[in-house]
Amino acid sequence: MNDPMIEVDGVGKTYDDVTALDDVSLSVPRGTVLGLLGHNGAGKTTLVNVLTTMLPPTTGSARVAGFDVVRDAHEVRSRIGLTGQFAAIDEGLSGADNLILIARLLGASRREAKARAAELLDLFDLSAAANRLARTYSGGMRRRLDLAASLVGRPDVIFLDEPTTGLDPVSRIGLWEVVENLVGDGTTVLLTTQYLDEADRLADAITVLADGRVVAAGTAAELKAQVGRRAVHVTLAAATDAPAAMTSLERAGLQPVHDAPHNAVSTPVHASADLAVVVRALDDAGVEVAELALTEPSLDDVYLALAKQKIAA
Amino acid sequence: MTMTMEPTTTLQHRWRGTTFANQVRILAGRSLRALVSDPKLMIFSVLQPLIMLLLFSQVFNGIAGTSSFPPGVTYIDYLMPAILVTTGVGAALQSGIGLVTDMKNGVLGRLRSLPINPSSVLVARSVADLVRTAVQLVILLIAAVVLFGFSPAGGVFGVLPAFLLALAVSWSLSWVFLAIGAWLRNAETMQTVGFLAMFPLMFASSAFVPVDGLPTWLRVIATINPLTYAVDASRHLALAMPVGSGVVGALLASAGLLAVGLVAAVRGFRRPLAV
Repeated sequence: MNDPMIEVDGVGKTYDDVTALDDVSLSVPRGTVLGLLGHNGAGKTTLVNVLTTMLPPTTGSARVAGFDVVRDAHEVRSRIGLTGQFAAIDEGLSGADNLILIARLLGASRREAKARAAELLDLFDLSAAANRLARTYSGGMRRRLDLAASLVGRPDVIFLDEPTTGLDPVSRIGLWEVVENLVGDGTTVLLTTQYLDEADRLADAITVLADGRVVAAGTAAELKAQVGRRAVHVTLAAATDAPAAMTSLERAGLQPVHDAPHNAVSTPVHASADLAVVVRALDDAGVEVAELALTEPSLDDVYLALAKQKIAA
Repeated sequence: MTMTMEPTTTLQHRWRGTTFANQVRILAGRSLRALVSDPKLMIFSVLQPLIMLLLFSQVFNGIAGTSSFPPGVTYIDYLMPAILVTTGVGAALQSGIGLVTDMKNGVLGRLRSLPINPSSVLVARSVADLVRTAVQLVILLIAAVVLFGFSPAGGVFGVLPAFLLALAVSWSLSWVFLAIGAWLRNAETMQTVGFLAMFPLMFASSAFVPVDGLPTWLRVIATINPLTYAVDASRHLALAMPVGSGVVGALLASAGLLAVGLVAAVRGFRRPLAV
């Protein structure tokens, strides 16, 4: 674990007068997942492009699998897999031929390439469509083929740039499971996402980017502790119940906030057990509840909390 | 998605890439496979010059026998060697457009994340397109002989060098268009600029009518138009006319274009894709 597979040291990238990355540093130990969290334009893809040798950094340096991304780009490329935001597959070839092409380019013999392609098609449930042109694949199938393509060379480090964007929920969970299995086999993963739940589910550590800078880093739990916690939102059946609801929740030791325009009361909670506390308190006070929801902090909450901390500091 | 991970195979060694020649062979094979699996593309690419052959041979037929026309030559025999060259030039433009299309659809992004030499992508495309153009020209030649009665004085031994010359011109120009594509990276612009440049070059040349029959201003353009020299060289070979230094000139010019195009294309292509 004390052998980082991705090391980023003060990397900056500027185009003309736009700063895409500004003094970014991070480190990812072998066999772990780093979630790179940020909105569109935060610099996630630029960092992935630097780490996959597609784009030279303006300042700083980065090593992947122990090799410098600029000086030893070839060595880096023979150890990484990349799945970008848009499926990079050859539509004029069949699914199998797409994978065979990559295996052959990596130096596999025809026989090895075929075996590897069959193995991956099976893993991604594409065997039935193996000989169909990729042009005829659905969006989810393209994504799977694309991910399979990035795994052909059994890479040490995999870069997944917003891998679940545009995927249906079932495919999304399926992809998460594939990532978890890869990590189980010792692969190191850098995953960019806009979704806190995705980073929460997959990442051992999270780095938050905003405007090209690292604004927070830590485990999901650490980030959430900074952000504030989960909250329970209660929509009341009758507006007149609001004072009673507020009093009962305060008495239960919570810090409720009245959201008058939505005729709702919300309160931060620490654990799932607090949900029961909320329900019991409202029930005891005879408050009728129209809707009750437990919400997780979102990426926006992370940004808001970080902005607040900055102002406070 | 299957949840079980791949079995640990016996092939756990890492593939470390392959030689440049192999990369080119594999990538060119990929492009040519599409040619076989989707023959529609080939048919369409032959259709356009066939239509030109048909139209021009009818429209300009009367020009044969006029004073500026070489005596004793039918118009189809005069036209066909030029069509070989212009088709080759069109194919060269398509080569550049194909590169830009590949850049846009992400395939090249994937290839660039692999441990391969980026230039192999260019060389492979150029080689595959050369093969494609050769097949296209052979089909055209057969059609010209069978459908239009093409039988130039030079016979097979005149047509073969004309065909090879057209290929050489096409190949060198394909590198120029690959270079433009690698720098411009926009298929629509290339298509527009390409066709805007192609039409005057084709018509203000000796391709369809003898230069002497053109109005003075066009004649001046045609005389400095490099296409005129390629067309003349191809025609003189096919018609068994004295070739003089024309063929050598065309080949030298092609070699020059090839060298410039190659260097520019490789440099342009090495620039980062993701900007």
